[in-house]
Amino acid sequence: MVIVELRDVRKVYPLGKVEVEAVKGVSFCIEKGDFISIAGPSGSGKTTILNMIGCVDRPTAGLVRIGDRQTKDLGDKELTTLRHETLGFIFQSFNLIPVLSVFENIEFPLLLGKQRMHAKEKKEWIDYLVEEVGLSDWRRHKPTELSGGQRQRVAIARALAGKPAIVLADEPTANLDSGTGEQILELMKKINREMQTTFIFSTHDAKIVELADHVIRLRDGLVIENLRNGADASGLCAEGGTRAAASAAGA
Amino acid sequence: MEIFRLALRNLSRQKKRTFLLGGAIAFGLMIVTLINGFAGAFLTNISENFANLAAGHIFAQGVEKSASGREYELIRDDSLLLAAAKEAGIPAKYVTKVSSFDGNLVFAGHTARLTIDGVDFATETFLPERLVFKEGGLAGMKDRQGIIISDPIAKRLDVRPGDRLLVQLKTYSGQNNVGEFAVAGITPDPGIFGSMAGYANKAYVNELLNIGSGEYQTLGFYLPSLDGMDGYGDAFYKAVKARAAVFDRDAAKKETNPIRAFMNQGKNETWAGVKYRVYTLNDLLAQVKQIAEVLKTSSLVILLVLFGIIMVGITNTFRIIMYERIREIGTMRSIGMQRAEVRNLFLSEAMILALGGALAGLAVAGAVMAGLSMVNFGLSSPLFIILKNGHMTFRLDALTTAFDVLVVAALTLVSAMLPARKAARLDPAVALRTVK
Repeated sequence: MVIVELRDVRKVYPLGKVEVEAVKGVSFCIEKGDFISIAGPSGSGKTTILNMIGCVDRPTAGLVRIGDRQTKDLGDKELTTLRHETLGFIFQSFNLIPVLSVFENIEFPLLLGKQRMHAKEKKEWIDYLVEEVGLSDWRRHKPTELSGGQRQRVAIARALAGKPAIVLADEPTANLDSGTGEQILELMKKINREMQTTFIFSTHDAKIVELADHVIRLRDGLVIENLRNGADASGLCAEGGTRAAASAAGA
Repeated sequence: MEIFRLALRNLSRQKKRTFLLGGAIAFGLMIVTLINGFAGAFLTNISENFANLAAGHIFAQGVEKSASGREYELIRDDSLLLAAAKEAGIPAKYVTKVSSFDGNLVFAGHTARLTIDGVDFATETFLPERLVFKEGGLAGMKDRQGIIISDPIAKRLDVRPGDRLLVQLKTYSGQNNVGEFAVAGITPDPGIFGSMAGYANKAYVNELLNIGSGEYQTLGFYLPSLDGMDGYGDAFYKAVKARAAVFDRDAAKKETNPIRAFMNQGKNETWAGVKYRVYTLNDLLAQVKQIAEVLKTSSLVILLVLFGIIMVGITNTFRIIMYERIREIGTMRSIGMQRAEVRNLFLSEAMILALGGALAGLAVAGAVMAGLSMVNFGLSSPLFIILKNGHMTFRLDALTTAFDVLVVAALTLVSAMLPARKAARLDPAVALRTVK
C-alpha cells in the first residue's frame, strides 16, 4: 500500500540573485511499513526531499501526496495538523527542547493539537516509549545531561509519541559514533517491525543503507536508483500508487 | 496551560536576562506607584494640615462695610449661621469661633510679627487637644493675658514662660492699640505655617480688637473626615444664602488664586449691614488639588515614557530570543505546533515577565513607601505642610494601581508582539536550516 507519492517534484531555492535547483524532477512511491533509505552524497537533495515529504517545505513544481492528501492544496494550518497527526521527525542534531525533561520532551507532541489523550493513558504510553528506547532511569533528566545516543533515543520516542504513520529521520546517526549509530538504527528497525511504522531516513553511510528494505539513491537532485528488496521499484507508482495511497491513508 | 508552563521554563533559561527585563518593568512601575502614592496623600495631608491650622473645614465670616468703604470682619450674632449649619446637616466634630489679629510682639528690643488667634480655652477643645508644649503649658492660660507662642518666635524674642511682652495691633475698626501678654507656653516648632501663629484668650483678644465678648470673626466647622466637605459646604452656602446676603462663592472658586479672591470679595461693592463669606478648605486649596492632579497625570506620562524605553529593550530582547531559539521554533513547528501557539508561547513569556515585574515593582514600592513613612522629617521641616505629623504618607488608589498594571501588561505584550509574530511566521524549513 503506497503511503507517500512524489511525482515529478522540483525544488528551486533562491540563493542571492542565483537560483539553485536542489531537486530536479523526482518521482517515487513509498509503501506503508517500509524501512526506506534515501541515500546520496551531500548536496544530492536528501534533506530537501525529506522536508517536502515532511510538509515543512513545499515543492516548486510537481506533486507530493501523503496518504490521500496533496500537500500543495493545504494551507499552513492544515499542513501543521497533517505533520502533527501523520508524521514524526528525528533530526540529525536531535533538536530536543532543552528546558524539558526526557519525559516532557516525549510528551510534548501530545500536548499539541485538538485531540488530547487521557492523562492516565498518556502517561502509560510515554512510560512504554521511555522503556522501549531504554531510558527508564533517565526520564527526569534534561537533554544536556544525556549522551548523544541517549538524546537520539529521546528524539525517536518523541517522534513516535503521536503514533504517526510515517517517521522521517534526517541523517539520524550522523552525529553519533558508529557503535551508537548502529544501536539507534537497530532500535528504529525494531520499532518499524513491531509498530508497522514507515521509517524514511536520509543517509550517506553505505553501511546504514544495507539495513533498508527500500533504497532510493540520489545524485545532483535526481533519482539514480530505486530498489525495493533488491528489485527496481520505479514502477511502484505506475502500479496504482495514487489509488493505493488513498486507501493507505484510511488505514 | 502547557504553553504557559513551557513559557515559564523558557524564562528560566537565561535567569540574568529575565531578571534584568523583569527588573526594568518593576522599576518603571515602582516609580509610578511611588508618585501615585505620594500624589494620593499629598492633597489629604495638605488639607488636614490646613484644617488643623485654620481650625475647620467649612468657614463663614461676616463682613461689614462702612460709609468710608472700610471693611470689618465681624460676626456679631451667629444664630443665623448656626441655624444654616443645622439645616445643612454639617456633622461638625468641633465648632470653632475665632477672633484674630496680626500684631507685633515686642520684648527687650526684639520684635516678631505673628497672627494671634483668640481661643476660648474653657469651652473649645479643638486646640487644647492638639497643643504640645516644649515649655510651660495650658495652666498659664488661666492668666487672661496668657499667650502661647512657638519656639522660633520665643527664640527670636528671647522670652521664657512667665515673661511679659507688649503687643502692637489695630482694632477691628483700624485704630492702633497696644496690649500686654504673659508667655504661658512655648510649643515645638510646628513648621513655617504654624510658627506664625500664637494663641491667646479670646476674651482678651476681643478686648484688644475692641469687639464685644460674644463677637468673633470666623466661624469654623471641623468635620470628622475630609469626605463630604464639598457637599456640606454647598449645602451650608445655600442655607446661608437663603437667610442673608452672601458673596458669590462660585466666582471666587474659579479664580487662579482663590485665597486672594475670597479675601477680596466685596472690595468693589457697597452694601448695608452684614454680608457673609462662606468657603471651604477645598475652595482655598483648588490650586493644591490641581497640583495633585498634575502629579497624577505626570505619573502616567512618566509611566508611558519609561515604558517607551523599556519597550525598546523588550522588543530587542525578544528578537534576540527568537534568533537564539530559531531551530527550536522550527522543531516545534515540525512536530505540529501551530503558528498561533508559537506566538502565544512568546506572548506568555512576555505576560509572565510583565506580571512578575509588576508584582515585584508593587512590592518594592510598598517597601520604599513603608521605609519613607517611618522617617520622621520633624515638624520644622519645610515639607511640613505635605507631611502628616512629620512623616511622609502614601495613599494608593486600587483602581489607578490596577490601571497601571494593565498598562504595563499591555505595553509589554505590544513590545513582544512583533518578535512573537515574526517567530510564528517563520518557515519551519528555513528555521531548521538555520545555523547559529
